[in-house]
Amino acid sequence: MTQKNILSQVLVFGFYLLLQIFFVRQLVLFDYAFCFAYIASVTLLPFETNRVTLILLGFFAGLTVDVFYNTIGANAAAMTLIAFLRPSVISLLTPQRGYDERQTLSLSSMGLPWFVTYTAVLTVIHHFVLFLLEASDWGLFLPVLLKVICSTVFTTVVIVIIQFFRRD
Amino acid sequence: MYQLIQFISRQRAFILFAILEVLSLWFFYSYNNYPNAIFFNTTNYYAAKALETSNSITEYSNLRNVNKDLATENSRLNELVAKLQAQQLDKSIVNYKADSAVASRFKFVVAKVQNLTTTQFNNYITIDKGSADGLAPGMGVISSTGVVGKIKSCSAHISIVISILHSEYSVSAKLKRNNEIGSVKWDGVNPDIVEMTEVSRYKLVKPKDTVVTSDFNYVFPPNITIGYVKKVGVKADQTFHDIEVQLATNFHTLAYVYVINNKLMNEQKTLEEKTNDVKVK
Repeated sequence: MTQKNILSQVLVFGFYLLLQIFFVRQLVLFDYAFCFAYIASVTLLPFETNRVTLILLGFFAGLTVDVFYNTIGANAAAMTLIAFLRPSVISLLTPQRGYDERQTLSLSSMGLPWFVTYTAVLTVIHHFVLFLLEASDWGLFLPVLLKVICSTVFTTVVIVIIQFFRRD
Repeated sequence: MYQLIQFISRQRAFILFAILEVLSLWFFYSYNNYPNAIFFNTTNYYAAKALETSNSITEYSNLRNVNKDLATENSRLNELVAKLQAQQLDKSIVNYKADSAVASRFKFVVAKVQNLTTTQFNNYITIDKGSADGLAPGMGVISSTGVVGKIKSCSAHISIVISILHSEYSVSAKLKRNNEIGSVKWDGVNPDIVEMTEVSRYKLVKPKDTVVTSDFNYVFPPNITIGYVKKVGVKADQTFHDIEVQLATNFHTLAYVYVINNKLMNEQKTLEEKTNDVKVK
């Protein structure tokens, strides 16, 4: 990776966090659908990023967002988990002909079906951990499930929409 | 030894993952139990500054609602002044005279809301006054329309309030109609509705009854509105009413709150605790 690439990755990472903290945080639909678009800061890092970096960045991003949600640790736990699972999810979703070396992790390069599946899988894991931790009560399982489903749809749609504004 | 090092280096991603995961969970659970132990929340100076900036941009959009609430409150206060003046006149008949310290034990501090949530399972509100203005954990918080919550932790200029929309917070309440005591708690689902429990099913409760804070708590002055009865049912155990209460405070547009500083809170608390100790012996 060249220095310019690294710089642009850092900017994108920061952009997602700021977006989450100042704008997307206020977005709640019908009291059930929340948007956590900032998970894209980790899920959309380049393919070649190694696991250790992913986990460290995931933890950091989660903790930063936690500070503003007053849920210290919940987002961090969820982000660390999806950062750790990301390589496995990518290899699980390998297309029939394998990944092309020139492909980058973006909507335009991977196509809509792959991109949506990939984002939705990691999002659903993240939301499930986050909401279950927050609820801390199995009696609330149904509302939690409803929140997870609605929020996963919402977050995935927002992440895809952001992709349309991307210039490669 | 070499094998151990090799093992660690091969599994370093997993080990790092395990450590950070445990750390996050530890943060999460210790924050819920010891709120002041950890510095990572909106009382953090930089986080608070950032929120203040973003708030100053968005606050104009709900000025209309704030004005309406303040106007309503003004009219309520005027009414109250008139009522008190009337009482003053025939006070000489009654021998009872409140101790001046007790009568003026509540002090109100106005604070501005910096950040709030209504849709999590445990909701908090960040306000822009802190220990420098005499605030301390445990003080009650109300809005112009009703009860809001109680302070959880303070830094010098910022405080975090546990909103009544929090799974572990309940308020001692009573029905205005017949002074029946119960407690109000949120069930974690709808941010406009709380549940009132411990009211015997043989007492009369009707929709639209007003639910207010009871005289039995240190945190709030008595008779602060909590909400209005929305639906009445009977609990599964057949002894208590199952009452749904529509909250009086609209958390979605909350902008200014009053923190209640009960100057006699500690005195009352220690005295009552002492008395309880004696009883046990």
